[in-house]
Amino acid sequence: MNEVNKNNLMLEVKNLKKSFGNREILKGISFSIKAGETVGIIGPSGCGKSTILKLLCNLIEPDGGEIIKYSNDISLVFQGSALLNSLTVKENLSLALRNKHLSKREEAEIIAEKLKLVGLSNFANSYPAQLSGGQQKRTSFARAIVIDPKIIFYDEPTTGLDPILSTIIEDYIITLSDQLRAAAIVVTHQLSTWTRTTDRLILLHAGEIKWQGKPQEALETADPYMRQFALSSRDGPILVG
Amino acid sequence: MTSIKTKSLNIIGYPIHSLENNLMGMFKHIGQVLIIYYYTLKFIFQGKIDYKETFKQSYMIGVKSFFVVSITALFTGFAMSLQISRELVLFGADTAIGGVVSLALIREIGPITAGVMVAGRVGSSIAAELTTMMITEQIDALKVMKINPIEYLVVPRYMAGILMMPILSIYAMAVGLIAGIIVAQVAANVQPATFLDSVQQTILDRDFEVHFLKSFINATIIIIFSCNIGLHTRGGAEDVGIATTRAVVWSMTGIFIANYIVTALTFIPR
Repeated sequence: MNEVNKNNLMLEVKNLKKSFGNREILKGISFSIKAGETVGIIGPSGCGKSTILKLLCNLIEPDGGEIIKYSNDISLVFQGSALLNSLTVKENLSLALRNKHLSKREEAEIIAEKLKLVGLSNFANSYPAQLSGGQQKRTSFARAIVIDPKIIFYDEPTTGLDPILSTIIEDYIITLSDQLRAAAIVVTHQLSTWTRTTDRLILLHAGEIKWQGKPQEALETADPYMRQFALSSRDGPILVG
Repeated sequence: MTSIKTKSLNIIGYPIHSLENNLMGMFKHIGQVLIIYYYTLKFIFQGKIDYKETFKQSYMIGVKSFFVVSITALFTGFAMSLQISRELVLFGADTAIGGVVSLALIREIGPITAGVMVAGRVGSSIAAELTTMMITEQIDALKVMKINPIEYLVVPRYMAGILMMPILSIYAMAVGLIAGIIVAQVAANVQPATFLDSVQQTILDRDFEVHFLKSFINATIIIIFSCNIGLHTRGGAEDVGIATTRAVVWSMTGIFIANYIVTALTFIPR
């Protein structure tokens, strides 16, 4: 076991840089996450939150820096669910297990268990188009956890949802965090989501980390960036538009 | 003086710049097509073929195209036979009608008709489907699940295309031939037996080889071009329409160019 694994780390990001054309999105971001820890990445729109997730999932290449993942079992819950429309709920989950080479019986048992966890046992044979937005989101959760990931990312999991559904989704994140003991990143700008689901917060602005700390501290800090963001104030160093 | 010079340079510069952009775009597209085709063949030779999905795609690409191919081939056969019959009757060569019609059908019209119809129906559908999957992050979801989109999406469609296109082409040829027989009898009073006898004397085995070669190339062009456009389009709903149009234009242009090249390379005087 190396030194890093002794520290129970699951993910390390060192001096991560990314630009799109002349626009520098990330100017050297560094952070790490331990197993069982849920980190919230918050910040105004366009600050690079989703770009970090895409980099961590190898969907885009970084311009510089290093990403060290201590597990290959990684899942991402997409903002828009991203379910395959031509497949049923059950088939969508089965696809995530494709590389596990399980027997049909084992696969069916795992899928049934995960669908039960998100309350969708009766919708196994439904197509995404036949589900409501909330059910699609829950299916997306089930697909993400079907491999029992060691690292899980949530991209704006409650954006655009009504308050009740947001609470249900937040409860899932908390439940999954307890059950899976996975390292998790929740990218969000919903106050209730980051206060309820995260252990630690990172505030991004203009491609840099402006503040880090616990969610409780975020509401009381004198840091002008975090204070403006937490109070949803127009006055402060974060200029929008 | 300077402003006139700048204006003149702009007048010359703009078309050159535009041409440069178009050429660069074309070379980029061809490069992407070659990469996708390389990986598609690699997965096929590695035996990574989803047979269930290939069967499903064969139905979508092949079976669902039969009706539209039938109609097109029927009327193409009618028109062609009518033209040929009238001309050959003038020269007293009515017994050669079957041979000329069948030769045109097997060498050119069959593969082209099936290719154009499949490009319009299937190429557009593939480009629209894959572009929508790109825009709605379904392709990203596959990548996160460590599923290669070329293996999962392109290979079954390509397999279905190269299996179904020769069947559609030979079917288009047969329908065209039936149309030819009907018109030859009505317009030139050529009996079906005479028509078929002429067909038998004219068509050689290598005509079938050229026919199947063209079908295979057409399937490759339609599926790989359309998949490539789908997998490289980003944006919104408007881009789905643009991708669909591009897929049809690229596929049809590719079919006509490839058809000529194959004809030129395989043509041997009788």
